[in-house]
Formats: sequence, C-alpha cells, structure tokens
Amino acid sequence: YSTVHSLEPLPANGPDFGALGEEAEFVEVEPEAKQEILENKDVVVQHVHFDGLGRTKDDIIICEIGDVFKAKNLIEAIEAHVLAAALFNAPLLLGEDALPNGLDVTFEVTELRRLTGSYNTMVGNNEGSMVLGLKLPNLLGRAEKVTFQFSYGTKETSYGLSFFKPRPGNFERNFSVNVYKVTGQFPWSSLRETDRGVSAEYSFPVWKTSHTVKWDGVWRELGCLSRATSFAVRKESGHSLKSSLSHAMVIDSRNSSILPRRGALLKVNQVPRLGRGESHTGARFLYGTPSFNSPAPPACLWKGLHLFYLGGPTSVRGFSMHSVGPQSEGDYLGGEAYWAGGLHLYTPLPFRPGQGGFGELFRTHFFLNAGNLCNLNYGEGPQAHIRKLAECIRWSYGAGIVLRLGNIARLELNYCVPMGVQPGDR
Amino acid sequence: MWSGSWRVRFQEDKVSSFRKSKTAEPWPENATLYQQLKGEQILLSDNAASLAVQAFLQMCNLPVKVVCRANAEYMSPSGKVPFIHVGNQVVSELGPIVQFVKAKGHSLSDGLDEVQKAEMKAYMELVNNMLLTAELYLQWCDEATVGEITHARYGSPYPWPLNHILAYQKQWEVKRKMKAIGWGNKTLDQVLEDVDQCCQALSQRLGTQPYFFNKQPTELDALVFGHLYTILTTQLTNDELSEKVKNYSNLLAFCRRIEQHYFEDRGKGSSSIRSS
Repeated sequence: YSTVHSLEPLPANGPDFGALGEEAEFVEVEPEAKQEILENKDVVVQHVHFDGLGRTKDDIIICEIGDVFKAKNLIEAIEAHVLAAALFNAPLLLGEDALPNGLDVTFEVTELRRLTGSYNTMVGNNEGSMVLGLKLPNLLGRAEKVTFQFSYGTKETSYGLSFFKPRPGNFERNFSVNVYKVTGQFPWSSLRETDRGVSAEYSFPVWKTSHTVKWDGVWRELGCLSRATSFAVRKESGHSLKSSLSHAMVIDSRNSSILPRRGALLKVNQVPRLGRGESHTGARFLYGTPSFNSPAPPACLWKGLHLFYLGGPTSVRGFSMHSVGPQSEGDYLGGEAYWAGGLHLYTPLPFRPGQGGFGELFRTHFFLNAGNLCNLNYGEGPQAHIRKLAECIRWSYGAGIVLRLGNIARLELNYCVPMGVQPGDR
Repeated sequence: MWSGSWRVRFQEDKVSSFRKSKTAEPWPENATLYQQLKGEQILLSDNAASLAVQAFLQMCNLPVKVVCRANAEYMSPSGKVPFIHVGNQVVSELGPIVQFVKAKGHSLSDGLDEVQKAEMKAYMELVNNMLLTAELYLQWCDEATVGEITHARYGSPYPWPLNHILAYQKQWEVKRKMKAIGWGNKTLDQVLEDVDQCCQALSQRLGTQPYFFNKQPTELDALVFGHLYTILTTQLTNDELSEKVKNYSNLLAFCRRIEQHYFEDRGKGSSSIRSS
C-alpha cells in the first residue's frame, strides 16, 4: 500500500477513468471531498488506501481491513472499520473510481502518540486511590501495548508493568504478561501484605463466551500490622511463594455494567489443584431486568491467607468489612468456604423529582443480603459441609438510595438491619 | 514498740500487693520460645542468642518449651530471634526478656550492687558488640562461609527462587550494617583478633570463680555461655573461631559447668564440648 494517496477531482463520466491501479507519488494534496448521500448505494470496494501510517505494520492492517473489501454497501464498509482504536483514529474518506459502483476507500489516519500519560482518582468499596498511568500503544506496529501503572491508595499501593499483544485480525484473542508489586494493609486482620508477582494470561473467544487462562506466580510477604496482632495471624508472617493456574469464562449480555436494564452476566472461574496448592471454584451470576436486579457479591479470594472473607458494603450489608466468621483476638481470619446472595429491587425515587434529568441518576433501593462463612471439617463429607453452611446464616435487609455516577461507579446510602449475627461478628 | 512493728508490716504489705498488681499472671506452664529450624536452617548467631535466652530461663527456673518454625524471624515483633510467647505477650531478644521476667518477680541480678550491675551491663555490651558482630561477619561477609554454609542454610525452607532471593537480601542487609559500624573493611584476621581480645577480657574477669559474679549466675553468664558454647560446637568451614575460645581453659570449664548444671539433666547436651 502506498502511504499517501492523492485525490484528484472526480471525473464527470466514470468508465473513462484510466489507470486503475495507478499508485500516486508521495504527494499530498488537500482532498476535495465530494459530498454525496451514499448511504444505500451498492458498492464494490476496489482499493483501500492508508494515509498517515508510521510504525504500524502492513500485515495487521490487511487483517483488520479485510472486511472492508467484502462490504456490499457503504454501511457495511463503515462498520467493517473495526478496532482501529488500537491502532489509530480513522475517519473515512471515499472516492469513486473505475466501475460505476466501484469504491476507493481511503483511511486518513493519525497514529496514536508513542507515549500517553493519564491520571485518575478511583474511589470504591470504602477506599480511595490515585492512579498514574503511562501507556505506549502500538509499540511495534501490531497493536502491542505496554502499560505502566502506579496506584497510591488508602489501603493499597501498587505498581505494575504489563505487555499486551492481540492477535492480528482477531483482537479477542490476545495475551498479556504482567509484572507487579502490591502492598496493602488489612486492618480487619491486623495484617500487612506485600506481593511481588509475574502473571501471564491468554484470552480467546469460543462461540459466545470469552475464556481466559492465566498463570500467576507471586512472592508473598505477610507481616503484622501492630504489636497487638493476634498470635494466630502472627504465625502466618513471613515469605511464601505461590503459583497458580486459573481459568475463567464470561458470558455477558448486559447493556450496562453498573445498573443494567437487561441482560445477564455469568462468570465462572476455577483454579485447579497444582501439586500441593489449593483449588477453588467460584461463580458469579448477575441478572437484570428493567426494575429488578440481583447482584451477587463476588467470590473474594483474599490473598492474605488464601481464605474467603464475608461482610461489607458489597457483600452482606450491615456487617463491617470482612468482619464475619472465624476470628482470633479481634482479627478476622477468613474461612475456607462461603456462600452469599442478594436480592435487590431498584425503583425510581418516590414522587419522581427531577424526572427525565438529574433524578434519573438516583434509584431507591431495597435489599436482602444473606451469606455464611465457615471452615470445613474435611473428615465429615459434603453433606456435613452443606449443613454447616446452612446453619447460623447471617443476613440483613434494608433500604436506601443509589446514585449512579456515569458508567463507572455507584454510590449507596443504606439503612441496614443486620440479623443472624453470630458472636464475634462485627 | 509493738505499734511500730505493726506499722512497718502494714507498709510492707502495701508494697508487695502493689507489686503483685503491676505484674500480670504468674509464669504459665505453656510458655514457648520460638527459633528457626534447628537442624537445617538456624545460623550461628541466632543459635547463640536462642541458647542464651534458654540458659537464662533455666537459671531462673522458669519452664519454657522450644518450638522451631521456619518463619520465626518474621514472626518476631523486632525481627530478631528468639522470642517468647507468654500468655498474651510476645517478647523478643535477651534484654527485653530479662526486663519482662523481672516484672514478673524473677531476677538473677537483684543481689548485685550498683557498681556490679554497671559492670555486668558493660560486659554484656562487650559480648554483643564484639562476639555477636564477629559471628555475623563470619556468617555473611566471609565468602567461603557464605557460599558453603550460610546461603544454603538460610534459604533451605523456601522453594526456588525464593531461597536465593531471601539469602541475598539478608546478606545485603548485614553487609550494610557492617559498613555502618565500621566493620566493612575489616579482614577475617582482624575479626579473629577482636574475638581473641574479647575472650581474653572475659577470661580475666571470670578468673577462677564459677560464675562472673562469684557464686550465682546472672544474665551475663547466660549470654556468654550462649555465644561461647555455640562457637565451640558449631561446625564451620574452618576451626579458627573455636580455636580462639579454646585458648582459654577457664572459659571452657565455665561452659561445661553450665551445660552440666542446667542442660544435661534435660537431655539437651546432644553436642557436648570436646576438650582439645
């Protein structure tokens, strides 16, 4: 492909146009775009030109743009211009050429800058953080991306370097390699944790689902947060090496990730046992209809003690963060098994103030959360486990207001009545 | 007369009950001492420190169970071994442990006057600054010892590559500390000279007495015993360090005496002192 194409003024009669495959010299001419309503014209795409390429390699362009050649009408040609955001911003310019319905498509592109920086603040789940990012997109010309991120927050500080490479022609198939260090403090267990790790993951689509296989190797260092840390937690201090392989499958047909009006998300992940390692399986199911929503709390595999925690504003409301279940001298240790579920009903605000505008961001929220967390006694068999998880259930109900912030976050203010509180829970 | 003595007795009662309320519960049966794994992991300096605390507690007649854990160093609130877990309290290193035990009403140095106490503190400082530092130097700054013994032992409980990472990290830390106290440029011979001088001072102070302060052992005796006994019984790449100690026969006798008196009956004398 030539990198520059000059658009000559369009000839009056089409078929007389000579030089079908004539490539232009490296001459840049301000194109005089002819305005025409081309929406439903039948077209055959004959040439595709790219204007403004620097480091992007040819083969990935061929893969991405192959669909343009198959386009039968203009709408399809435009729709075939897919995932170019990874490569460049590309407005479409069209010219007519040779055949009466022949189409010469020119992409005038601006490649993404070699280096971009970003600064965000994030607030979520009772913690806040400041995130600085550096991104090198399209590093070697085939949509590879290197990202460096530094995050400083109230509970956690982390930095990481990641390399991402999609498969040319099929961006849903991609792999990435990450190197990271995370330091966090967990006051509910009086624990301090530093993780330094390497991970590699490979994603691929299978029919309508998206699968990810990930290997994670971590050097974990645990320490006590204060002299008053309980001895059970103190015994876990020190260094360890963890290696895990996991697989996740996601089917997501929701139309919004924060307050979906329709659709469902099913995420299943499992970690098979490797040698002396642990294994676990988790599933998360969310289903939404216009007025009814059931967000289930996520399976939080807390890396500190490789145990599950329960409690907090996104799992069982009314209980302090991660403060349910086995504990020792005030520090919560987590449990080996848990279940949790919730039923939420969202309705517009009573009397509908600000209807159609600001009021749309708010919803009243009625909820019922329940869950249980315990350690398993492996000698007893699965029926005993289920029985154990079914007794002493913690649950809570209440009502409140939810505010949706763009598509990124939600703020909840709830009045909760915790029930089924067991001794030791907070 | 009668009323006078009654008044004195009343004061004594008040003082002793006040002291009782300050100290917590009496010494429990399940007091535990934590150190690294004995066979494969623990190093010379840590072994010496742990033995010193064990000797001290034996001398005070306080029972303690020794538990070996690979992560003992990281469990300790100060990062150093050994540490004891008594009731709800966790105390590490000999100095704080002596204070802690004193608060519970047991002490070995109560019978000393102020001058002797100052002297005892001075000799304990000598042992910590000379003997302990020399042990650390030999373990972490002498390339032969590092390569053959220390590196492998320190990382032994951990899988690859963590064993190498932790050993290098610790070595870097110790070397930095050595530089800070001025030992960075010392040669092995100079360090051994320092050990010799320290042993000479201890030997002179001990003289022909059974313990440093004549009849009764104090925490100084426990500390000196811990270090000397460990030096004498630990197999290193060469015997130079233990030879320095063996030059002083009264120190050898001192170690043997304590070993027999406080450890042999409990079956701890698995590696006894060999006389040259």
